[in-house]
Amino acid sequence: MYRLHDMQRDFSSHVLLESYPIPEGIKANGLAPEQRLAIYRNNTRLGLTEVLRAVYPVLDQLVGEAFFNRLAHFYLSAHPLQTACLLQFGGQFAQLIAEFDAAQGLPYLPDVARLEWYWHEAYHEANSQMLDLSKLSQLDPANHDRLGFKLHPSVRMLASDYPIADIWACNQPDYAADTQINLNQGGCRLVIYRPNFEVEMITLEPADYQCLSALAAGTTLTQAVQQVIGNHPDFEIQTCLQQWLSNGLLTDFFIIG
Amino acid sequence: MAHTYQNRQLRDHAPIPARAGVGLRSQHHRDALNSPDKLGWLEVHSENYFGKGGAPLHYLENIRADYPISLHGVGMSLGSVDALDYQHLQKLKGLIARIEPVLVSEHLSWSSFGSHYLNDLVPLPYTAETLAHLTVRIQAVQEFLGRQLLIENPSSYLEYDYSSYSESSFINELARRSGCGILLDINNVYVSSINHGWNPLDYIQDIDAERVGEIHLAGHSVNTVAGRNILIDTHNGPVSKPVWQLYHLALQRLGHVPTLIEWDADLPAWDVLIAEADKANAYLEDAYVQAA
Repeated sequence: MYRLHDMQRDFSSHVLLESYPIPEGIKANGLAPEQRLAIYRNNTRLGLTEVLRAVYPVLDQLVGEAFFNRLAHFYLSAHPLQTACLLQFGGQFAQLIAEFDAAQGLPYLPDVARLEWYWHEAYHEANSQMLDLSKLSQLDPANHDRLGFKLHPSVRMLASDYPIADIWACNQPDYAADTQINLNQGGCRLVIYRPNFEVEMITLEPADYQCLSALAAGTTLTQAVQQVIGNHPDFEIQTCLQQWLSNGLLTDFFIIG
Repeated sequence: MAHTYQNRQLRDHAPIPARAGVGLRSQHHRDALNSPDKLGWLEVHSENYFGKGGAPLHYLENIRADYPISLHGVGMSLGSVDALDYQHLQKLKGLIARIEPVLVSEHLSWSSFGSHYLNDLVPLPYTAETLAHLTVRIQAVQEFLGRQLLIENPSSYLEYDYSSYSESSFINELARRSGCGILLDINNVYVSSINHGWNPLDYIQDIDAERVGEIHLAGHSVNTVAGRNILIDTHNGPVSKPVWQLYHLALQRLGHVPTLIEWDADLPAWDVLIAEADKANAYLEDAYVQAA
């Protein structure tokens, strides 16, 4: 077992970390062993860079191919692949971009990356049934104060100081208009989820976002509304509930206690 | 739904047809559903369907009603000295239960050490130590999944000077000891033969014909490294002429084996893939006539 073990240790260190000595016993056969090993390093790098590009197409569009490749290279050093399931690879990209000096001039990039990762996660998340409205309508009014809701498993919520929903929309392949985005137009609050098989993105008002966040955290509807009313006295829960039930954001309910 | 059930019934009792199939990528999910009679079967990368839900699994579950499906894994890292990843195997087992594939395959390679993965299929030294290690691993996986694996010969860009078996004799012995079958990738035989100066005909002649359950065909690229040509297994174009010739010769020895076209980078239109599969079908029919 030792020879196989030592070869794999030296091989993976050399290919992933570069500086390590080359594993013993690689035939030259017309090429230096380093050059043969470099083929595996390139395959890994190029392959994983393309995996990242497929998950983050808007980022790629925003920064251009060469800069994206630099980001990807930096990412691969900081977060080597630790699973054979590539669907899980790339989740720390937003955080890495936030710490990448050369990306500081585009402060909205990390939130765009978050949006794209949430989109990717939502695409592969579990399916869910729609909420059974007839069951909800039969609820004993005595239990109304203890009513809470389960959100669709694919729901991801994102509040940004930048207009990332507009930035995202303008950088879709089928986007035709010539829109100038004003970065000072303010932020946005987004819900990314997959009601059926296509991922959707909804922009919410601050009060609605606060309420849905509270429901997502497991608070009762009554408590959630109380939290929101303090800041937004005009908040109307009925309209929100109708929308969230009809668009599949709420998929089940429960009675606490 | 009656239609679906009937198809499933037929499919479950039929062996995989000795016709050509293609490797399916998500971009062609709808095409596959719209033309179910044009191909004998389809193969997908298992790991692409390891998500919890959504469109990929939905499509695959629909597609499996019309086609026999083969699940081809790239992430098991069978040759690694790391412990087997039972989370990975559990996901595969769940997918197998859901899709009921006719074939399940993996690679003669390693790709991880200390839980860090190379995103590539790295060759192994063909030694007694590796043979013993792989035999135990493949037996454990086959027992866990409750079915036989086909193991595919890799494309390789390097060899180890302490290997004591040729690749073909190693894979034969591995199949004999572990009970696995062989997925013979003719493009990989060709790529490795050119890269290392092997004789691809000897390789085909040597392989245990009884154990070959599937053939792969694919395109490769030619890269120049330090003034020397190296063939790289890129799956980004049509099958090359010498690989078709080698396939023709292989069929004379192996009989008509289910054959898959792998063209999954720079993905072409669905019709182009079907035309490539038809080309393989012509060779298969030719082999059938010759055998009769």
